[in-house]
Amino acid sequence: MTKHARLIKEANDQTLRYFTRRHFLMDCVKGLGAAAFSSFLASCGSSSKTLLDLAGNPMAPRVPQFPARAKSVIYLHMAGAPSQLELFDYKPALQKLHNQLCPPSLLEGKKFAFIRGVPKMLGPQAIFSQHGESRAWVSDHLPHFATMADEVSFLKAVQTDQFNHGPAQLLMQTGSARLGRPSIGSWVTYGLGSENDNLPGFVVLTSGGKTPDAGKSVWGSGFLPSVYQGVQCRTKGEPVLYLTDPEGMSRDLRKESINAINEINKQEYTTFGDPETLSRISQYELAYKMQISVPEVMNINKEPDYIHEMYGTQPGKESFANNCLLARKLVEKGVRFVQLYDWGWDSHGTDENLAIDYGFRNKCREIDRPITALLQDLKQRGLLDETLVVWGGEFGRTPMQENRDGKDMPFLGRDHHVEAFTMWMAGAGIKKGFSYGETDEIGYAAVKGKVAINDIHATILQQLGFDHEKLTYQFQGRPFRLTDTGGKVITPILS
Amino acid sequence: MRLLISSGSWSMFIGRSHPLLVHLPIGILIIAFILTLLARREKWQHVQTALPAVLLAAAVSAIFSCITGYLLSLDGGYEEKLLQTHKYLGIGVAVISTALYLLERNKHRFPRLQLPAALLMVLLLSAAGHYGGSLTHGDDYLTQAMPAPLQRITGMNKAVANAATYTNIGDARLYEDLVRPVLTNRCYGCHNEQKLKGGLRLESIALIRKGGEHGPVLKDSLPEESELFKRLLLPEEDEHRMPPKGKPSVTPQELELLHWWIAAGAPANKTVKELEKTPRIVAVLEGMQPATPLDKQEFVPEESTGAPSEQKMAALEALKVKVMPVGAGSHYLMVDAINAAGFSDRDMQLLLGLKEQLIWLDLSGTAVTDSAFAVLGQLKKLTRLDLRNTAVKGNGIKALGNCRELRYLNLAGTAVNAEGLLSLQQNKKLQQLYVYQAGFTPAALRQLQQSLPKLKLDTGGYRLQQLASDTVIYHKVSG
Repeated sequence: MTKHARLIKEANDQTLRYFTRRHFLMDCVKGLGAAAFSSFLASCGSSSKTLLDLAGNPMAPRVPQFPARAKSVIYLHMAGAPSQLELFDYKPALQKLHNQLCPPSLLEGKKFAFIRGVPKMLGPQAIFSQHGESRAWVSDHLPHFATMADEVSFLKAVQTDQFNHGPAQLLMQTGSARLGRPSIGSWVTYGLGSENDNLPGFVVLTSGGKTPDAGKSVWGSGFLPSVYQGVQCRTKGEPVLYLTDPEGMSRDLRKESINAINEINKQEYTTFGDPETLSRISQYELAYKMQISVPEVMNINKEPDYIHEMYGTQPGKESFANNCLLARKLVEKGVRFVQLYDWGWDSHGTDENLAIDYGFRNKCREIDRPITALLQDLKQRGLLDETLVVWGGEFGRTPMQENRDGKDMPFLGRDHHVEAFTMWMAGAGIKKGFSYGETDEIGYAAVKGKVAINDIHATILQQLGFDHEKLTYQFQGRPFRLTDTGGKVITPILS
Repeated sequence: MRLLISSGSWSMFIGRSHPLLVHLPIGILIIAFILTLLARREKWQHVQTALPAVLLAAAVSAIFSCITGYLLSLDGGYEEKLLQTHKYLGIGVAVISTALYLLERNKHRFPRLQLPAALLMVLLLSAAGHYGGSLTHGDDYLTQAMPAPLQRITGMNKAVANAATYTNIGDARLYEDLVRPVLTNRCYGCHNEQKLKGGLRLESIALIRKGGEHGPVLKDSLPEESELFKRLLLPEEDEHRMPPKGKPSVTPQELELLHWWIAAGAPANKTVKELEKTPRIVAVLEGMQPATPLDKQEFVPEESTGAPSEQKMAALEALKVKVMPVGAGSHYLMVDAINAAGFSDRDMQLLLGLKEQLIWLDLSGTAVTDSAFAVLGQLKKLTRLDLRNTAVKGNGIKALGNCRELRYLNLAGTAVNAEGLLSLQQNKKLQQLYVYQAGFTPAALRQLQQSLPKLKLDTGGYRLQQLASDTVIYHKVSG
């Protein structure tokens, strides 16, 4: 077969694959039903912009199900999972057990990622004190953040069921430990669209030198149209790769070529009706606008000195501090969901960087000022009232010292722990200076106010004006939602 | 022996074919109706000959449906009122289809009666069918699945109708609010005044205490020995089990509630917070705490308003200003000029047309100046106003005193003067005021704070201390 014939055959196959019997039947039903229903809806005078709008611009802003408390979300994910026992979950009883062998009752029937045999208990490697009017316990690793204790709601008994980074990060960010589900940011932009016409609705910023273990799927759009996936912006070099025009391409010429491509794509859409074509059209248009708007918003050089001092930012460097400042700028410009990943929190004790007593403390220092500055900066601009800030890892760490393969480790470290860890939320209708949930006296198991991952998702959606049970997407014959079959809004932390 | 008892009887068996059989008369009667209509046209007159046979089949199947339906009703477990309505409508259908058959046979005598009778039949049939559906699937089967706009139109918003009478689970009355609904849903069907299965009625505390023909069902404070609780735990095959096989079981949470209530001595008027709680019941109660009503928010007025003018909204949208309801189904609007940096004082007039609906207004970063206040002062429903990073100085800000509902005002990054700031004293409901980088004086701020003690005034300008620990890098010292 010649190359030409092969290409034609492939195209034909593709078309056939698209027009399966099911598609045909569905189209028959949809064609009639949709015509009837849309005219019915129009006659109801319903002004909510939903499906019909989607067909035009998938990023058009949409009405939430009920009045929202949050306009935007900043999600700070500490990839690798920080130790709650050195930051927020103060356990003096664990100090007393330091270096003693772990009682067998704690190990029976449990599975750990690396702990084998009988490990020793590891007391808190930090000095704790109470802060603010809420008397919240925060360790000396976060001296600046401690001043914000009265701004946040701690969740002390978050639970997950995945003890490996990849699946746990997927669960935290997409609601499922397996690949293929849309991330929180994708659901949010699918539900609400984007406010700013010139910027993506969902921006991802990474620091710490690596992307999360689960890869870019943690900001993927899963089965949602790909226009809703996160746009990763780099803090060094070009913010978005390949966004600048090549030499010799003027902006006018670029505009013309994009218009021409979109025209062809529109014809393609009228013929085949594939929503991915719409995604492509709007992505071209957005990319064209982003050529101007993104370098502008991603440039922190123009920020005044005292702001740089506050965050501890150094322009031109890839750092968590820079990302925090960018998060504020993006939210100020109407970006719906800003997702930060900071890598390097996996304190096993295998080397100095991953040691509870060395690398971990350095990581804490790196986030302490920026997080505090972010909260204060949002607050002084009146933005914290409409921006939901979420902080956490993908799981917690064990009260036992890790003994990989049953051997002593070169440094102090803790293994992955799924049964209880701490997260916090702030802003946008979340209680200030509040703590929900409790762990037992060594921080091993959650005893009160347990929170599941999909409870966190339900709460985020709730603050954005969505009943998590009703934000759904039809896929493979059934409606899917971020919280799947679970999820309960954590009402005690709502003000 | 047990097999014989737990298995059914002929009447029950035949009765259970009712849900299948009823569809026969429905289908046949509808065909009969269509034929009747068609036969009135010249072109279709020949179908007339089929009518007698079709109507006879309809009448016979309708009568059979009535009989099986009656047998099924003996089975019990249906809501009495619904059942009665369905029963009489069903009998009505059987009667009218028989009448239709007789009319057809004697149509020369009553030529004018046929069509009205056929119409009446369709009405009866639809009603009987509807109530039958409600009996098997529950009366909210359809309304639950309605899309929100349709629910609103038909006034069938169940979520609102079923809202709990308590806002805090601690204030709930244990019997009235928590236990009674369980008994209503699971037990009343058979243990009521009419049915009186086992001589037991469960509609009130007095009746529960009285017990049934086998004696009392409550043994004070001992759930494990009270029939009312014990029977719920029996395996499904057991003949004594309640609710009997085929009826929806009591959920684990409901079991915990009943257990707790009986253990507390089956009190009539105690509230949840007055009673001692076990960890297990705490978990159940946590799940029953009603969520704060979803559509309630302090920034949205409780009273409703009329629909905004589409035309006026479109005029703003033409300027790339975002105009949207604050939530689906609400007429209140949020207006956001984030994509319309050129929005200026001239365009402010456009907002006036929406003054009854506009509650959230974001003009941050636009070209508006102090002249905008004249219009802003007329937007009396405003609860949130964002003028961040605009050129307003505060002359004329006094007009905002008319916005009595204003709760959030953002003047960060503006040059609002002290005098302007002080005129905000009239906005008694103001909760949050942001004046970061604004041209205020500390004295004016103090004065404003004194007259509005509840106001959270944020002047910003936060600085983080430089701590020695900020620069310490932890390293293992070798050796």
